[in-house]
Amino acid sequence: MNILDAIDTIQSIADGVLFGATYALLGIGFTLVFGVMHKINLSYAAASVGASYASLLILAGIKAPPPLVFLLAAICGGFIGGMVYIVAFRFIPLANPLATLMSTVGLLLLIDEIIVHTTAGVPLAYPALFSDVIIRAGPFSLRGDLMFVFVLGCICMMLLLLLLYRTKLGLATRAVSQQPVAAELCGISITGVNGLTFVITGVVGGIAGAMIGAAIGMLSPLLSLPLTVKGLIVTVIGGLGSIPGAIIAGLLVGGLENLFQFFRGVSERDLYIMLLLFVFLVFRPGGLFAASAERD
Amino acid sequence: MDFYLGLLQIIGVHTLLGLSAYCVLLTGQVSLAQAGFFAVGAYVAGMLTVLAAWPLVPALAVAAIAGGAVACAVGFPALRVKGLMLVVATVAFGEAVRLFFFNFDYQVARGGIRIGPHGGEGFRQIRYFPEHGWSTLDVVLFVWSAVALVMAALWWMDRSRAGAVLRAVGEDELAAQSTGINVTAVKVSAMAIGGVIAGFGGGIFAHYTTHIEHVQFGVVLATFAIAYPILGGLSSVFGTPLAVIFIQGFLIEGLRFLGDWRNLLFGGLIVLAMNLRPRGLLDAGSTIALKRLFVRIKERAGAWPQRVD
Repeated sequence: MNILDAIDTIQSIADGVLFGATYALLGIGFTLVFGVMHKINLSYAAASVGASYASLLILAGIKAPPPLVFLLAAICGGFIGGMVYIVAFRFIPLANPLATLMSTVGLLLLIDEIIVHTTAGVPLAYPALFSDVIIRAGPFSLRGDLMFVFVLGCICMMLLLLLLYRTKLGLATRAVSQQPVAAELCGISITGVNGLTFVITGVVGGIAGAMIGAAIGMLSPLLSLPLTVKGLIVTVIGGLGSIPGAIIAGLLVGGLENLFQFFRGVSERDLYIMLLLFVFLVFRPGGLFAASAERD
Repeated sequence: MDFYLGLLQIIGVHTLLGLSAYCVLLTGQVSLAQAGFFAVGAYVAGMLTVLAAWPLVPALAVAAIAGGAVACAVGFPALRVKGLMLVVATVAFGEAVRLFFFNFDYQVARGGIRIGPHGGEGFRQIRYFPEHGWSTLDVVLFVWSAVALVMAALWWMDRSRAGAVLRAVGEDELAAQSTGINVTAVKVSAMAIGGVIAGFGGGIFAHYTTHIEHVQFGVVLATFAIAYPILGGLSSVFGTPLAVIFIQGFLIEGLRFLGDWRNLLFGGLIVLAMNLRPRGLLDAGSTIALKRLFVRIKERAGAWPQRVD
């Protein structure tokens, strides 16, 4: 009995960690925007869900094969990300963080309403890609769709890290995040870099949205608020502005969430995640990987 | 007529909620926990009048104190982090409170029926007003006298040293600290004042809706709470009710004829308002302009009798 319990526990943690890849991607999105602009984009999770909705609608419209949905989601996400930047960030003075916060909240409500409006609020079934594949490893079994989500998430993170640390664009992004004024003096267009950051985070968000859809088998406009909260928690636990932190925190939150769900049921699950956040705020306010020093 | 009275009640309670966020925003902190304090106040006041059969005013006072105490308790750990981290921490706190009430079950059998908060089904039958024969108009008057009281207190605070200290911390924390202000104490007390007002407002809310449920106190309510003062402008306490009237009266009730499209317009208008007036509807400039107008009207009114003579 005890061994069976242990197996179930480990199984639920493993499933959670695999699903945590989506949280990690969402956390990266929040973190990147924070790193570059020092602002939080509260409409990010809603935009991600919106992008996966849009990709699903386009897919139904052009009758393309289901795996294409991820590519479409990435493109839609990038487009929506750019729009978010123009609408909610571009024309609001940088020195006024409250106004941007509020405009992203407005955008969150707007995107939610657009989703509800175009789909009449009915959850959409997501094409099942690998749900019939189950990999058995001893007493454990790994669901194919979760494995796929995890692998795709890892590829995305890898590409993102390559983009940030091996390309000119990444160099410019990091420069702007460290010293906007100096970067501008070196001839980097801050508006351009900020806009591109939003497009990149949008692409990541679109893929994350599609992954969430693929993992839980459906999309609903009700997803956007819980995902916003989860993404923010992952960002804080990982340390604001830290990409490795977001990745680890995402997997951690995913695993713990499933563990709590296994032990205490779905209605109390999120309560413990919030408590975890408070533990982090009290004992490690900077998160797992806090920025090395205060930069000006 | 009842519709408009009901609208006035909603505007009144939401003004209290907005004012609670206004206190915290004055110190430059963004708190999305106000919905949590509001929920605490609502449940405490409801349980006191329904289960313990207390009169309304002491119950509201206890609800306010409970809101303030919770705010204080949250303030200490949460205010160690700054700015946007605080946003996240308070979002998480608000959600934790909501989930707590989602799992909170405390029912008492009274006269054959079970009353009290019942988990996901919420807390029904908070029937203080109908049981004590209050008409809708009485309730409206009660709500608005409470709003007037709180606004007067905040207006007075804004003009006293306390207001100056709050604004100093909000404008430049480092400068405030170097003039010898205890920044943490100021922030926590601002949070506590906000908690008191939110708890008080929550108590009133529980009694006029007669049914509270965990869904009502989610992130959406919290964002509304900070939307009012930000949209209204932080330069004056009167911006908040203005924004509540704009959102609740105009955007939510006034545009009902648009049907489904209203909700679309709602988010869009908030984005547009922030793009056009990033400092709020009633910013420092328009406050000064209004003051000048007021002075001019007063001068003219004073000048009239002389002209007649």
